[in-house]
Amino acid sequence: MPPKLQVIELDARYGPRHVLYDVSLDIPDSAVTAIIGPSGCGKSTFLRCLNRLHEETPGASSTGRILLDGEDLRSKDAVSVRFRVGMVFQKPTPFPNLSIYENVAAGLRLLGVRRREELDDGVVDALLHAGLWEEVENDIDAPGTSLSGGQQQRLCIARALAVRPEVLLMDEPCSALDPIATHKIESLILKLKREYTVVIVTHNLAQARRVSDHTAFFYLGKLVEFGPTSKVFEQPTEKLTENYVTGRFG
Amino acid sequence: MERPSPSAAKGGPSVAETQVGPNPPRGLPSRRVRWLRALDRTFHGITGAAAASLLLLLLGLLVVLYDGARPALLRFGPGFLVGSGWDGVHDLYGAYPALAGTLLSSGLALLLAVPVALGVALFLSEMAPPLLREPLTYVVDLSAAVPSVVYGFWAFYVLVPFVRSTVEPGLATLTGGTGPFSGSPTGLDLFTASIVLAIMILPTIAAFSREALRAVPRSQREAAMSLGATRWEASRLAVLGPARRGIVAGIILGLGRAIGETIAVAMVIGNIYLTPTSLFSPAQTLASLVVNNFGGVGPGLERSALFEVGLLLLAVTVGVNVLARLLLGHAPDPSRPRRAAGLRARLLALTGRRHHPVPRPVSRTSPGAGTDPSVAAGRWSSHLDDRVPKNLRRRQAMHWVVVAVCAGAVLLAILPLASVLATAFDRGGGAVIQPSFYVSENPLGCNPGPGRSCSLGGIGPEIQGTLLLLGLGSLVAMPLGILAGIYLSEYGRRGRSRFARGASFVADVLTGVPTILLGVFVFAVFLRFEHDSATSALSGGLALGAVMVPLVARATEEGLRTVSTGVREAALALGFTRHRMSLRVVLGSARNAVVTGALLGLSRAAGDTAALFVTAGSSSFWFQGFNQPTAALTPFIFTNFGSEYANLASDAWGAALVLLLMMLLISVGARWVVRSRSVGVEL
Repeated sequence: MPPKLQVIELDARYGPRHVLYDVSLDIPDSAVTAIIGPSGCGKSTFLRCLNRLHEETPGASSTGRILLDGEDLRSKDAVSVRFRVGMVFQKPTPFPNLSIYENVAAGLRLLGVRRREELDDGVVDALLHAGLWEEVENDIDAPGTSLSGGQQQRLCIARALAVRPEVLLMDEPCSALDPIATHKIESLILKLKREYTVVIVTHNLAQARRVSDHTAFFYLGKLVEFGPTSKVFEQPTEKLTENYVTGRFG
Repeated sequence: MERPSPSAAKGGPSVAETQVGPNPPRGLPSRRVRWLRALDRTFHGITGAAAASLLLLLLGLLVVLYDGARPALLRFGPGFLVGSGWDGVHDLYGAYPALAGTLLSSGLALLLAVPVALGVALFLSEMAPPLLREPLTYVVDLSAAVPSVVYGFWAFYVLVPFVRSTVEPGLATLTGGTGPFSGSPTGLDLFTASIVLAIMILPTIAAFSREALRAVPRSQREAAMSLGATRWEASRLAVLGPARRGIVAGIILGLGRAIGETIAVAMVIGNIYLTPTSLFSPAQTLASLVVNNFGGVGPGLERSALFEVGLLLLAVTVGVNVLARLLLGHAPDPSRPRRAAGLRARLLALTGRRHHPVPRPVSRTSPGAGTDPSVAAGRWSSHLDDRVPKNLRRRQAMHWVVVAVCAGAVLLAILPLASVLATAFDRGGGAVIQPSFYVSENPLGCNPGPGRSCSLGGIGPEIQGTLLLLGLGSLVAMPLGILAGIYLSEYGRRGRSRFARGASFVADVLTGVPTILLGVFVFAVFLRFEHDSATSALSGGLALGAVMVPLVARATEEGLRTVSTGVREAALALGFTRHRMSLRVVLGSARNAVVTGALLGLSRAAGDTAALFVTAGSSSFWFQGFNQPTAALTPFIFTNFGSEYANLASDAWGAALVLLLMMLLISVGARWVVRSRSVGVEL
């Protein structure tokens, strides 16, 4: 199967600060790819390049190419790229003035869906996908912010899924959650990879091991090692990777 | 902290010291400890008294205005509100025309200002290119610093003729000259006053809205953009909603400013005491009525009626400001569930338009259970089939339309300031480049004719008077304001003291009280206790002090609040007593913020006309003594803005330019202070 996303010689900067050096990486389709590495190694920046969110930061710039199904992201409109590549953030970001229903429907409305039945279908399906439907079924008009942290995060996942993206980017989606909520999200990720390409940035090595098929290790803005998760964790080629995954530094 | 603890009563260590650890610090003799404790208590008392002065000021305003208004209240009762005459001969007074004029002009001003202000706020917070953002923000903020007398002066010469010759006839033709557009356009009317008010409140609304927008976390915008929203859609979806409360508060504050604005309105509204029947009617507002008549009336029923008008104005502006501050005080907390959405749901439920989607039909495949995406896609709406959204072009066009409209709003918002500066330089530039302008007395009014040239004279006494009044006001306001600010921040932290929170709130409300009322207040107090100097340098200086105190207190409080608890605790842990911690460590760290606050107060006072006009009296002489009337820049402009003498008019423009340059200087100075070293702790 051809890779879903091909990153070719990606360099990224914030103003004068160089944060990613010459990263090339193929992200496989319908699988979970974990990005690991110590703080400040450029993981999040890498992720934000994949849906062109990086360029929205004032002063940020990047060079290199990123291909989605073989097409250069830059040759396309940023808005339509982001519609195909969804993202979930570290802290849950439900729109505080919208209800649960409207939060999930937001993306559909942007796409011009107006008919109530279509919206209803989309919202219910997305909530089902995110495993949140049972919990909010009777409270769908409550504000999105009335949910618990873990539920809010799943609401954000449902919101991202509602527009049927092909790739789902997750930037440390569990770092603000307790172990039970984390477990729910992790099982959700495992379920989602059947239909979506998932790229997850995580600080939690055990989590990377649990959920991912492939792992990329970044250090100081460079891609050190990339391969099947089991290999990266058990027989890393690089000494640096070994030190990191065994907890000797970082 | 101020409560004596049992150990302190026995001469033990003060509470501040006990925080260090279980053991009293060794080597501190108990006499010294007692002395430090006494100092601490004294400091608490002094700052507390300063904070109490804020409450007293508001209370005093109320009492003095009520006391002055009593004869009129007794005489006219509630009929005062609907009475429509101002008849000095028969002593019949009613406030209805002024009330109507105030509400109409402020309402119309709001209508004009809000859309532009929102565009400005959106542009500056969400859309402006990073390079333009700061300078544009600065320029828009700067237009809030232009003194109202200068706005009025500019409006009288630039706006009024334009409105009379172009805008109003145009509107009259367009609408057929009926209803609110009937009557002959004069330019000096409700309509022009509303435009001037709109120009003046625009920066306030824009600033508050902008701050509300900027307070929304970045991640909200990014979340929306990750859904495939354009930047405008992201703002609409994720930013405008959470910022709504702050925006509404800003709009209400703007309304409060419009209602209380005095001088600029008095200069362009026509000042005819009739209930307006059309936008082109000359009118009066509550504030303009007071400023136009207060100086000329002796003791009697008319003065009392003016006090009642003042009381009315106070009630309206305080009410509006309290509302706005309450809204601002409860800024939306994203982690807290908001009632509004629930309320909306309940409304929808009532109307039968439930949002509940239908429960999932049984026939559907279980989610994600091995469904092939391509098959699954078939279930989905055709909107989602394309890899590029169908409506993309339209949505992006929409984005650019919004950007263009908002950029246009910014241009519109900057235009008045540019025109004011250009006009002032054009008409007053000739005067300010002559050194004699700053040291000569006012000339005799004269018009140049054939073979006759007029002496320009100068504004020496006015400059002297203004500096003197500012000095006098600062002498009172700076210590009082800073001490009160220290109390509000240091003793009222984390809601520990209701009194401190109340005083802080009152200070906020006081900044929204029209300065004309502060002038009337000081005047009335002098009238009672020091009759001969009711209009004098002293009374004028105190009036300016009253204008400054709440501003300085709040700015100090805000500045000190930015100093982290860690710094305070570190100082206490070192064995600092509380007052030394406040004075040395906290005030030291926040010095720049305090200086900025002081400059802001100074700038507001320097530009104030209304308070001075009723207290400093009119004089064109050099300083005659503290109990004598004194000249000052702003009243000089106000009395000479329509002068038929060319040389006096140029002098007034020169004075306006001097004021503007002063504001610019203060504003640039404040910025420089903020930019320079921001943390400097001297122990």
